[in-house]
Amino acid sequence: MSAFPLPGFRETALIDPFEVFVGPVYEQGEPPARRFALLIDERHVNMRGVIHGGMLMSFADAALGQAVWDATDRAPSVTLNMQSQFLKPARAGEIIQVTPELIRRTRSFVFMRGDFKVDGETIFAATSVWKLLGQS
Amino acid sequence: MEDRPAGIPPEAELASTGGFNKYVGPLYRLPDGEDGALKRFVFAVAGKHMNSAGTVHGGMLMGFADTAMSRTSRLVSGAKSCNTVSLNCDFVGPGKLGDTIEARVRVTRQTRTLVFVSAELVSDGRTLLVATGLWRIAGEA
Repeated sequence: MSAFPLPGFRETALIDPFEVFVGPVYEQGEPPARRFALLIDERHVNMRGVIHGGMLMSFADAALGQAVWDATDRAPSVTLNMQSQFLKPARAGEIIQVTPELIRRTRSFVFMRGDFKVDGETIFAATSVWKLLGQS
Repeated sequence: MEDRPAGIPPEAELASTGGFNKYVGPLYRLPDGEDGALKRFVFAVAGKHMNSAGTVHGGMLMGFADTAMSRTSRLVSGAKSCNTVSLNCDFVGPGKLGDTIEARVRVTRQTRTLVFVSAELVSDGRTLLVATGLWRIAGEA
């Protein structure tokens, strides 16, 4: 695997087999203000060379899920809902970055959002609702 | 003939020929239902699709829904490509290793430039995910 082309990033420790399979994901900063990055490669794109919506949503679920962990001392949680907006195509070789934003945490839910940017321009936006397990 | 996972019926056609779909696949298309109004797709859950809790990862479910709904938009519009504009997914129930997950896709409305699509992912009579989304018709057939 080639080195990640942005200085100051380290590889994120992913534990879900699917995330490991489609990753790696990189990060910088410390919880709860981590920034995540994905280097788009040939596995992530469709027949037109544009990142697949499924890959964007997988990266979003992984990055926002890491931020939910940061916000809850790694409490177990599941995604209940995700809303995705596909704003602009991104291509292999480009780097997508996101700093997830905690909208609100209640006793049983976490509301998260993220603007996903290439070179400072938002190409994808996602909002997700997470259920904290063991909370009614 | 590719190695067909258990649970994929012989009438299923390979729908993942390259890129991300091939990498996470194989994904298949099933014969239409409801006189063509229902488009159907299927994949068999493998170890690579899982999360650490032992259920199918949400990213895989959303990716499969996106592929099935995009393909449906192309089929109904006749366009060479359709781009996902927005997608809303509710995670209704967990998928498990070895499940055969079917996407059941319907078109709510089609205009000259847009397709409104809904989908339900089901396995063995259980609903795993419901989705609605909007596709832009990008290329002429």
